[in-house]
Amino acid sequence: MKKILIPVMIVCSFFLISSPANAAGKPGFDGKEIRIAQWGPQTGPAAPWGSVARGSDILFKIVNDEGGIHGRKIKYFIRDDQYNPAQTKAVVKELVEREGIFAFVGGVSAASGMAVKDYLAQNKVLWVGPSTAVIEYVFPLNPYLFAVYPLYEDEASILTKYAVQKMGIKKIAFFYQNDAYGKSGLKGCKSRMDAFNMKLVEEISVEPGEKDLSSQMMRLKSSEAEAVIMWVNPTSAAIALKTCATIGFKPQWISSNTLSDYALMNKITGGLWEGVITGAFALPPTSGDPLMTKYREAAKKYAPEERWGTFYLAGILFAEPLIEALKKVGPKLSTEACLQKLNSLKNFQGVGPMINWSSQVHQGSDSVMIHKCGPNSTYITLEGWTSNEMASWKTK
Amino acid sequence: MIEQLIIEGLAVGACYGLFGVAVAIIYKTSDVVNFAQGEMGMIATFVAFHVLTVYNVPFWLAFILTTAFAILLGMLIEFCFLRPAKDPTVLGFIIITLGAEMLLMGLAGWKWGAEQKDFPFLLSVQKMHKIMPGVVLNEWSIGVFVLSILIMIFLFLFFRFSKLGIAMRATQQNVNAAKIMGIKVERVFSITWAMSSLIGAVAAMFFAARSVLDPNFMMEPFMRAFAAAVLGGLASIPGVVVGGLLMGIIENIFGYVWPEWKPIVAFVVIVIVITIKPSGLFSKHYVKKV
Repeated sequence: MKKILIPVMIVCSFFLISSPANAAGKPGFDGKEIRIAQWGPQTGPAAPWGSVARGSDILFKIVNDEGGIHGRKIKYFIRDDQYNPAQTKAVVKELVEREGIFAFVGGVSAASGMAVKDYLAQNKVLWVGPSTAVIEYVFPLNPYLFAVYPLYEDEASILTKYAVQKMGIKKIAFFYQNDAYGKSGLKGCKSRMDAFNMKLVEEISVEPGEKDLSSQMMRLKSSEAEAVIMWVNPTSAAIALKTCATIGFKPQWISSNTLSDYALMNKITGGLWEGVITGAFALPPTSGDPLMTKYREAAKKYAPEERWGTFYLAGILFAEPLIEALKKVGPKLSTEACLQKLNSLKNFQGVGPMINWSSQVHQGSDSVMIHKCGPNSTYITLEGWTSNEMASWKTK
Repeated sequence: MIEQLIIEGLAVGACYGLFGVAVAIIYKTSDVVNFAQGEMGMIATFVAFHVLTVYNVPFWLAFILTTAFAILLGMLIEFCFLRPAKDPTVLGFIIITLGAEMLLMGLAGWKWGAEQKDFPFLLSVQKMHKIMPGVVLNEWSIGVFVLSILIMIFLFLFFRFSKLGIAMRATQQNVNAAKIMGIKVERVFSITWAMSSLIGAVAAMFFAARSVLDPNFMMEPFMRAFAAAVLGGLASIPGVVVGGLLMGIIENIFGYVWPEWKPIVAFVVIVIVITIKPSGLFSKHYVKKV
């Protein structure tokens, strides 16, 4: 019995160990469909950002209704990772090895992305338009990862330049989240301030979960800052503005694009968001641009229950370049062919910034728009697409 | 500037104290540290939000409905989660309350979603009164101070002079003796949870008005309120309130000088206090429970 059992166990073990690699070898498409996927927090603390993944679905539905891409329809998978990198790894592995995925788009959370980027590259799965700006995604070069999102460092530099040059502000303070996101913004702001030969009057960090910011806001007030640039999450921003209202401190608030959902921000600040200036990685959701109008109408048709906001729109924006590359590939689809088209994508612009990729640089853009929150959460465009001429990665 | 820092510290500290009292009441009566306290307050605040925004009722009516809901919620959790447990250990109680916490958080996420909301509170943080040159006091702070004082006075009188309050104290000291004396201890526990839930709900509404409302909004305030309660002494209700006030002031002054260290100062203070005086600053005797 032993003689039979041991070889059987060895054979079974071999299949168990080897099966994921075999499954990962699936091409992610066939003659009828191209399988595209995205992870995102549909439940849990970061669920508001889950609309990014649902937003991408609108673009794929439009493409499918228009006949697909060279006869192939897009089959789209969304998986809830609850903003938990361990969960992200599990869902990505399941999608790649069980479903066979051609490409991922979007994908909220830097930590989640960092947890799976090497796995995706090892399995030659494309990842286009991560939903966050992380310099480690693109430097050193990851051949399968293409970033759309402008880096926070560039955005902070552009906003600081605007505050100093266009608004004539002399005293600027920086209020940031104590993590990679906040520190990237601080770095960009400081590099621009150095170029102007200026210094920040104050720089204050905050932990993401802090609910009482009175001492930090008192300190900002003491600095007599005319403008405060903030690189924080929506909750911290709302508490900061409310706290400042209680102590009678009214600077010009400037923030990253992560707080550019004016309807949401105005709602959670009780109307205090009006007048805040933010960066933006997309045209205003209410823009009359023909492409934006097309997307807005499609969203009404396909997902009338969804709020047409910045995050939802972002899901479309992050997926646009992949669709463009797939169209350019033609009927003879392969990962290599798509890679070649992505690597040679030049001056592509949908509703986001202009994208330029090469085989050496996969950071697609260094540009943001500058908007201001007007009455009733309207978007006032202060500056169109503006690039960061000081972008450090361009010189690498 | 220092005066304003102290006022802000006292205001948020009073809120910590109020919430800490909710934790302490249950602890005093049943030796249970209720880790679901924050989420009980969160659910009650969501109910207030729902009633206010969906049914557009006046705030006072929403407040009354919410307090009624909070009372029922407290009794329900005690009845459904704590009472069926057969001779649980302290660890068992902790696990039960943690389970209740997760259940309530999941329920709120399912019903109201995870997107942040602005809680339309009666007292505005933006309406200010100048009390001396360079120092302002907003309506929210006034509300917290007044309410904390009223609840303190009520609890003092309740535990000192009312039959039920004395029964609660007796139950805490010796459950079996209380039973022999004819006290219906299960009813006492139920009322204790109801009172605690009510006070917690009121404090949570104050917290929500100052920050934003989402299913996670009470996690951090609960930790700080619990820290304040341990600082003052979990077994002493006035001690908990004073602990809260101290915590608010320490955090604000420390946070002003070294902002990056603000999140940990509360916990450093607790470690120091527990090391030097394990029962907390104002508890009269030391019982190893925390």
